Amino acid sequence: MPPSKLKSIYLSLIIAFVFLLLPWSGFALKIRPDFILLVIIFWLIRAPNLCNVGTAWFTGLFVDLATGGIFGQYALAYTITAFFAVTYQRRLVLFNHTQQLFYVFLLLMISQIVLLIIKTFSGADALGWSYFLPSILGVLLWRVAVIFGLNTGGRSRGT
Amino acid sequence: MERRFNHRLEQQSAPAFFVRGPSPLARLAFFSALSLALMAADSRLEYLTSVRQSLQGMLHPLQLLANAPSRLYRDTTEYFSTHQYLLSENRTLKQTALKQSVDLQKLNALELENNNLRQLLQINKSIVETSVAAEIMHVGRDLFTKKIIVNRGATHNIVAGEAVVDATGVIGQVTRIYPLSSEVTLITDKSLAIPIQVERNGLRAIAFGHGRDNTLDLPYLPTNVDIQHGDKLVTSGIDGVYPAGLAVATVSQIEVTPDSPFARIICVPTGRVENHKQVLLVSIPAKVEPVETEIISPIKQEAKVKRSENTPIKLEVVKPEVAKPEIAKPAAIKAEPEKIQLPSESKPALVAPPNNTSKPHAAE
Repeated sequence: MPPSKLKSIYLSLIIAFVFLLLPWSGFALKIRPDFILLVIIFWLIRAPNLCNVGTAWFTGLFVDLATGGIFGQYALAYTITAFFAVTYQRRLVLFNHTQQLFYVFLLLMISQIVLLIIKTFSGADALGWSYFLPSILGVLLWRVAVIFGLNTGGRSRGT
Repeated sequence: MERRFNHRLEQQSAPAFFVRGPSPLARLAFFSALSLALMAADSRLEYLTSVRQSLQGMLHPLQLLANAPSRLYRDTTEYFSTHQYLLSENRTLKQTALKQSVDLQKLNALELENNNLRQLLQINKSIVETSVAAEIMHVGRDLFTKKIIVNRGATHNIVAGEAVVDATGVIGQVTRIYPLSSEVTLITDKSLAIPIQVERNGLRAIAFGHGRDNTLDLPYLPTNVDIQHGDKLVTSGIDGVYPAGLAVATVSQIEVTPDSPFARIICVPTGRVENHKQVLLVSIPAKVEPVETEIISPIKQEAKVKRSENTPIKLEVVKPEVAKPEIAKPAAIKAEPEKIQLPSESKPALVAPPNNTSKPHAAE
């Protein structure tokens, strides 16, 4: 277990967390992508032995704390998303970039839908279709990161 | 293909098949159950308040770090603001200060007069609120609720339930306290209700947040209710949370449909969360809440009586030099000595009976 990688996992999670804590407001808040989930998905694909469902759950707890909601909402959403990411991890590294992009989009949507279900149970109003904008922004962010040389294990790179 | 697959797995330091630990499904089941248990414990049983508080204290440095860029930007723009702008701002500030100091002098005289009149009438002194200035740290991150975080918390003696106002009106109520910050639920949140009074005719009602857009609803008012477009709504002070007479909202739309017995009234809040950075946390002294006071009953028996029969606006500040309980004792108690022996634990009615002014109470 390389400790350098473990360190970079925690560092990237903390940086993503600071991005979440930035004072977003208004429209920017509505389209803010889920940085933390993106980082978790990346590490789930890249280092499944270091980052697992438990990591996702624990990070979700901190997101719950930061958003001030009920404990366990984001934790549950991240857990379920991480489960799907881990289940298909071996297949995912064989995908090319476009397929991967689609898969990441699905994962982000799963997390948002789980959150929506939990919130609806607790009596929140529906927010309309714009609620899913963060997933699209998140996927764009993923694409940009891949263009800038992030190795997500896609096939098109140097085969 | 097979070789490349293996090669890639090695490159990513993916484990062999048998060192993965428990299966993902087992982990999913375990952690999902844990999350569900946490949700139940937090929302229904409220066990986790202290845990949340201590963890929030841990997050505070990160929060400051995240706020640093915007703070830096604001400070630099302030530093480079032009001479002309500062001069004009100084001028307008001086003018408003002059105007307000004149108003303040009048207010002092009026307060004195008011207190004298109240003493003559043998009713309690009106309450004095204390307030703490705070700054909005950031808008809440949850899209489903309308909340803001301000930079005053438990260490600054903030307590949950305080009213939050800005320069233009009420904006919300403190709902959660952290060591160095506190969470304010805005009046536009779906879960917050605020007792209001129409300024024009004194009609009382309760305004609810609409949740999705930044408006307030006035539900359950009949279609023939005397509310007009542009009416100003102020706090009624009936709840003992908000001081009376603060601006809340302006009526912007009234819809009467023949199929509903109630009018649909939409109001726009007066307070502007987006524009102001500073807010005021106003607390009515804790003693003001209906407290038990000892009263010597006509049958020479010591009994504890709730003071909720008092008019809510004139709630008593229990100080040694303030009016004695016998003076302020409502006539209703004198007439019925049995009622004095109410169990002291019984909670007073949330909304006290109306006072004897001639205002209409359509919303009661």
